[in-house]
Amino acid sequence: MDAERKQAAPVTAQEPRAPDDLDAPFPAKRMLVNLGPSHPAMHGTTRAVVELDGETIAAMKLDIGFLHRGFEKSCESVTWNQCFPYTDRLNYVSAIMNNVGFALAVEKLCKIDVPDRAKYLRVVGSEMHRMCDHFTLVGALGLELGAMTVLLYAMEARDLLWDRLTELCGARLTSSYCRIGGVARDLPEGWSEKTARTLDRCAVLRDEIDALLTRNRIFVDRTRDVGVVNREDALDLGFTGPCLRASGEPYDVRKSAPYLVYDRVEFDVPVGAHGDNFDRYLMRIEEMRQSERILRQCLAQMEPGDIAIRDFRYVLPPKPQVYGTIEGLMAHFKIIMEGIKVPAGEAYSYTEAANGELGFYVVSDGGGRPYKLGIRAPGWPMVAGLPHMVVGSLLADLIPTFDTINMIGGEVEQ
Amino acid sequence: MAEETKPPAPAAAPPKPAGPPPPPPPKNPGMVTCTIDGKEVVVKPGTNVLEAAKHAGIEIPYYCYHKRLSIAANCRMCLVEMSNSPGGKLQPSCQMPVAEGITIKTDTPKVKDQQRANLEFILLNHPVDCAICDQAGECKLQDFYMKYDGQPSRLDVPKVEKGKRVPLGPLVVLDQERCILCTRCVRFMREVAKAPQLGVAQRGNESFITAFPGQPLDNQYSGNVVDICPVGALTSTDFRFRGRVWFMSAARSVCTGCARGCNTFLDYLSETTYRYRPRENDAVNQEWMCDDGRLSYKYLNAERVLAAREGRGAAGKAVRAVDAAAKAGAILKPLAEQGALAALFSPLASLEDLLAAALVATEGLGRAEVYAGGHPDGWQDDFLKVADENPNRKGLEIVAQAFGLVVRPFSDLVRSIEAGRVRGVWAVGAEAPDPRAAPAFGKLEAFVCQAYNSGGLADEATLLLPAAPHSEMDGTFVSFEGRAQRFELAYWPRGDSRPHWALAGHLGRGLGLTWRWKDAREVFEDLGKRLGSALGDFRWDGLPSIQRRHGLTPLAAGTVDGRLPGYRERVPLDVVDDARRALAKTS
Repeated sequence: MDAERKQAAPVTAQEPRAPDDLDAPFPAKRMLVNLGPSHPAMHGTTRAVVELDGETIAAMKLDIGFLHRGFEKSCESVTWNQCFPYTDRLNYVSAIMNNVGFALAVEKLCKIDVPDRAKYLRVVGSEMHRMCDHFTLVGALGLELGAMTVLLYAMEARDLLWDRLTELCGARLTSSYCRIGGVARDLPEGWSEKTARTLDRCAVLRDEIDALLTRNRIFVDRTRDVGVVNREDALDLGFTGPCLRASGEPYDVRKSAPYLVYDRVEFDVPVGAHGDNFDRYLMRIEEMRQSERILRQCLAQMEPGDIAIRDFRYVLPPKPQVYGTIEGLMAHFKIIMEGIKVPAGEAYSYTEAANGELGFYVVSDGGGRPYKLGIRAPGWPMVAGLPHMVVGSLLADLIPTFDTINMIGGEVEQ
Repeated sequence: MAEETKPPAPAAAPPKPAGPPPPPPPKNPGMVTCTIDGKEVVVKPGTNVLEAAKHAGIEIPYYCYHKRLSIAANCRMCLVEMSNSPGGKLQPSCQMPVAEGITIKTDTPKVKDQQRANLEFILLNHPVDCAICDQAGECKLQDFYMKYDGQPSRLDVPKVEKGKRVPLGPLVVLDQERCILCTRCVRFMREVAKAPQLGVAQRGNESFITAFPGQPLDNQYSGNVVDICPVGALTSTDFRFRGRVWFMSAARSVCTGCARGCNTFLDYLSETTYRYRPRENDAVNQEWMCDDGRLSYKYLNAERVLAAREGRGAAGKAVRAVDAAAKAGAILKPLAEQGALAALFSPLASLEDLLAAALVATEGLGRAEVYAGGHPDGWQDDFLKVADENPNRKGLEIVAQAFGLVVRPFSDLVRSIEAGRVRGVWAVGAEAPDPRAAPAFGKLEAFVCQAYNSGGLADEATLLLPAAPHSEMDGTFVSFEGRAQRFELAYWPRGDSRPHWALAGHLGRGLGLTWRWKDAREVFEDLGKRLGSALGDFRWDGLPSIQRRHGLTPLAAGTVDGRLPGYRERVPLDVVDDARRALAKTS
């Protein structure tokens, strides 16, 4: 059969076509297709080299590194608090969750317990950013499968959330909201009520999207049984977060090792069954519902109080004390010029970010700057597992699969 | 016999009260052994607890204690728990010698509480000054507050106001409000400078440091009180408000004020030297230096020759330094052959400079004698300052001897020029003992002058080459005692200037010599061999390991591109020149 194909393969325009040309087997030469790094359909600046057998993906290689910024190394030359802007740029769609993850790791080393209100504020910021992240993913997934409306709905919801976050931390995207020992600022006046209305609107948009996609014939056909990864493979590949849960493993750091106030709020962890694109999509829709539940509970439970610990060794003193007392001035000077002194040692702390387990490993030599910093980016194992998921499927399914694992260049390439 | 007649002691005498138990035999004979924070420490008898703890790597905070001064124990910062203290009272560790077998604790809650309380008292009347204080960044109040206190202020009454800027003398300004009355300065002036010019006046929280009425703090060692002041009370008029210390880097250097060779830190930022601070060296200067030495850095900044010039006065035109140096060989060669050329070496130049210059003078120009320039002699005392105000005269003599050159005084050269016997001079360093001699050099046919600063002989040069002083090169000075001491490059040579050895190398190549050196180390490795054993056991890499300090933004893990940490790209000279001149004027 192979020999016949080889003979049949070279067909050129010059040669008169044989009458049975239409019946001739299709040339079996494999084709290499390069996608990215700047391809409109690629998520992030990533390059995929795909070997195609017809329309089927025979092999695939991912080439990352186009967004590498030396995050871990950069952090070694700035003070602990100055690391926060760097963490913003890891998963830039959900910056506060990175801030929280880093802050918790350093606070573990300092043995600091932040005030309750700061914990609630961190959870509020995190869950809003989780919704942003999921809206982005669902909107983009719709867009890739031809559903422009979904993208517009998702963008509207995301921008509403970002408006609230702007009021909270002063930036839409790069929040830098946390500080070692607390958060940067308290809720603006009337923010809770406004946010409740925003959540109402987001719920409407989310349910619209749900209605548009979940029972949509085209959407279901394109996502069902595509990019499948079963539970064992997902565990072996190191998946976490919605992608792991979509494969049937109910692992969520917020439940298995509750941090901040996740043990004080009620929420459910959705778990999928098939590990395909459709389940991963459903995970996101359901997690947005749960995030909304968490947010509403937090806003109701939150009580007035300090937003950061009162310890001059870790948190900048209030400005009247800086300008009015020598103690405050010296503390301010030392924290700004030399950084807070984190006790020597090492700590690993992990949180449930939008894409999975986000871990920070920090090492301190007792000085004002990190001695070493390492990050477990949740997107990384998923990116590594992508070839496993797409080989054998159609080229057209690569991009949606790429979307549902939600690779964020900023965090994968650090 | 008289004793026998004495009545015998009554048998029923009451038993003697039990005295203190005999001291236990020392665990380590000849030494004292104690336990500090669970660590066994063995020290010489008489060592105080603070030093013993330091020996064991345990830090006890202190303000008033200074190992080279008498002990005042008045800051109360170093109190620790000692097992032999009556009633369990905390004891000042700076004052208490270690006793055999005692247990000392430096980190108990009691000690920590006392440190916190003590700092609160010390800071009670301290002004809110960090933003305008020169000490900020190297202030022990800031350090210890963050380490041992960290509590907010509880003061609700106005702070005591005292003299804010009291000029104590030409070099020292006192801020009595910042002072914590540790009396280090008072003790220094009395015990080290042997000039008790400072004292404490008034009582309680009204006390302040002051000089006696009508008697300024004008001792030649007054600058040291600025260094030993643990807070920002004593500041230097020379350094006040000129720069923030956390931006500055410190290079290990040697003072060029006199032939003593006091070890210094040279604090610099970008391409400007801001101050000298004494660096500890028990064999030379302990940790002091004189005021003249402290201010002797100014020639590194001001009135520098930064470009080569050909021709005298108005006829001069700028040329590239490297070209000019090579050209100088051609200018000097015919004069050397006629025997009308003299070489003038400055004892301000480093050993490496002089080695390269001596090589060129002998092998390139065929000279058998060399004239010694340098600064004229100044004042001297029996402590640090010596009369010879040149850092490397001994080095010049050693080098001349190694190359078979006869060293002749500067006055001979002036006489020879005036008599017309010398028509050309090659000067390595333009410093002249007699400033009135400059016009004589104006008569020379050819005067190739490698100079740091303009003015004096440099203005008479027919070919002026810009030379880089010791802040801009690695090198060695040999002190008047024959002690060779290394100094290190702080920043790269400014402008077009090059170290003397590099200029001499270029000049030598114009004369057909083939020596090529990449850096001062190669010069020393090539030519230092000729010095034989003159430098004793000197090692070129033997700079003491006290770490070079870098400014605010060091690369945490060394360099990735081979450049020095803290290195900044050089700003073009014309951009910073105005600023630099303005800076020079503030001095």
